[in-house]
Amino acid sequence: MAESTLTAEGSRRAQVPVGSRGRARGLSDRAVLLLFITPTLVLLLAINIFPLIWNIVLSFTNYRANQPGREIKWIGLRNYERLLGSEDIWGYLQVTAHFVCWSIFFQVLIGFSLAWLLNRQFRGHAFWTTVIVLPMMLSPAVVGTFWTYLFQPQSGIFNYIVNFFIDAGDFSMIGDVALAPWTIVIVDTWMWTPFVMLICLAGLRSIPEYIYEAAEVDGASPWRQFWTITVPMVLPFLMLAVLFRAIENFKMFDMVVELTSGGPGSTTELASINLKREAFESWKTGYSAAFATILFVTVFGAANIYVKFLNQVKKR
Amino acid sequence: MAEIRLERATKTFGQVHAVRELDLTIADGEFFVLLGPTGAGKTTTLRLVAGLEKLDGGRVHLGGRDVSALAPAARDVAFVFQQYALYPHYTVFDNLAFPLRSPLRRRSPQEVTRRVEEVAKLLRIESKLKNKATKLSGGEMQRVGIGRALVREPNCFLMDEPLSSLDAKLREDLRVELKHIQRDLGATILYVTHDQIEALTMADRIGVLEEGRLLQVGTPRDVYTRPASVSVARRLGSPAINLLRMDAVPGIAAPSRARNIGIRPEDVQLNGRGIEAEVEQVEHLGAESVVVLRAGEERMHALVSGGTSVQPGTAVRAELSREAMLFFDEAGQRVDA
Repeated sequence: MAESTLTAEGSRRAQVPVGSRGRARGLSDRAVLLLFITPTLVLLLAINIFPLIWNIVLSFTNYRANQPGREIKWIGLRNYERLLGSEDIWGYLQVTAHFVCWSIFFQVLIGFSLAWLLNRQFRGHAFWTTVIVLPMMLSPAVVGTFWTYLFQPQSGIFNYIVNFFIDAGDFSMIGDVALAPWTIVIVDTWMWTPFVMLICLAGLRSIPEYIYEAAEVDGASPWRQFWTITVPMVLPFLMLAVLFRAIENFKMFDMVVELTSGGPGSTTELASINLKREAFESWKTGYSAAFATILFVTVFGAANIYVKFLNQVKKR
Repeated sequence: MAEIRLERATKTFGQVHAVRELDLTIADGEFFVLLGPTGAGKTTTLRLVAGLEKLDGGRVHLGGRDVSALAPAARDVAFVFQQYALYPHYTVFDNLAFPLRSPLRRRSPQEVTRRVEEVAKLLRIESKLKNKATKLSGGEMQRVGIGRALVREPNCFLMDEPLSSLDAKLREDLRVELKHIQRDLGATILYVTHDQIEALTMADRIGVLEEGRLLQVGTPRDVYTRPASVSVARRLGSPAINLLRMDAVPGIAAPSRARNIGIRPEDVQLNGRGIEAEVEQVEHLGAESVVVLRAGEERMHALVSGGTSVQPGTAVRAELSREAMLFFDEAGQRVDA
């Protein structure tokens, strides 16, 4: 019975010309597929892939964007040699590393603690969460600007509070060579700790209550519960937060420019700030393209290794 | 092992009385099953014994000691959770060893290994000891959950629907195993379930709980054949007990207060005698068949052998076994003849 239907179907198909069958069915699956992904592909190529490749190409030239008529010369790896041989560049990278590492350290420490405190039922729970999250909602440039006022040695509230507890006398967070690198760490921590806290909170909420109850019945102390249940189960979330924060802080620009504009000297001149200076103040376009490429490869490589590691932690 | 005794145990959540003045004694070495519908207060009772909930009134004694004020760890009970509650980033071995590594009962590493291997063998998971807990099947996970309770040699075992998230076949296997283990160890088990089969097959005694009150306590046979009330009668047996008005079965010498007759489907026989009825439907279950009958305004079920030839739409006569009849009064309580 089934066979006869099949052959009937087959003979009917054979009679219909191939072209008309295609039209009758509308677009093929492949055509629909292409139709859906083409706009995305075009956009991605135009605003991500092409500029990236163009940037790499420029990094091998002496191109200057403010001198469009000038002859563009292919200079090979000269830009890279100059960059890696320059002591200043290592200085900027060091400033960046100091900023990234310490700001993430404090954000993880405080963010996790806040999440841990908020992850219980108490009155005004939602209110406090909102209050804590507020800094994150501001624009970084605004944050940078108003913290310059908070850090004012004479009238700023920051100095007032510090002097209230310890007699520090007149000091300037922004003007002092030793303090300025910590100033940007403090402000970034103030602004982005809530972000780390929210992600940790999501992690803490995902741990079912009965696992803690099982541990309680099994005689595990709160301390042991924290280290054997809470920490391992929040770790993937925490690592994700660190990844986001690290990528963001590598390219930190606006807040620091408003706050210290890289000073005093170049103690807070992050790689991204220096890059902007070389590219759009000194107009060494080819040179800064090489710098950008180095930064890109570093961040991209580090992020990839990190994500692999994160996946392993998640699999545990 | 130890005896569990609840004295007027009470627990309320806001307006809800989860457990009301519950009195219950579970003997040393007894397998006691608390049976009841969702929200009856079974799990709350269990958690009160474990110390995971605080009593609002009454006391809990374990092995003759008042533990009402003690923390869960100090009560030395083992709890098996419905959702397994394994430590997900640990191996099976470490999960099983976890209670033994508590500061309350520090054991030497050799002893931990010996105990864990013993229990793993008993539960047939010795080949999985090095696996991550999350890489196991549901049945294996619950074996680990039970194993974690067994390694400790606690006062008593508290089990909260441990088999309900497993499939039917596994449930049956573990049911048999659990009963075996309990007998071998002479363990005191308080077991909570809404599954009557689990209650009937494993329990030494069953307690039927509803709205935080114990309706009846007795051996499975007792509770099944002599239920204290309509609620209890309905909770056990599948298909459920038939409830008929007195006038549906004429000529029965019944107690004067009786308002309803209860009769189990297996006590209804289609042998050509008794009351007239029409066959509405026949459900073949293999070894047995359920025949749905209509007699006047009453509908009832009869459980007959699988080979029955009755057809829907035909008229039959149903004989109700006089000895098996139960009588219930206005309030639903059983009255004896």
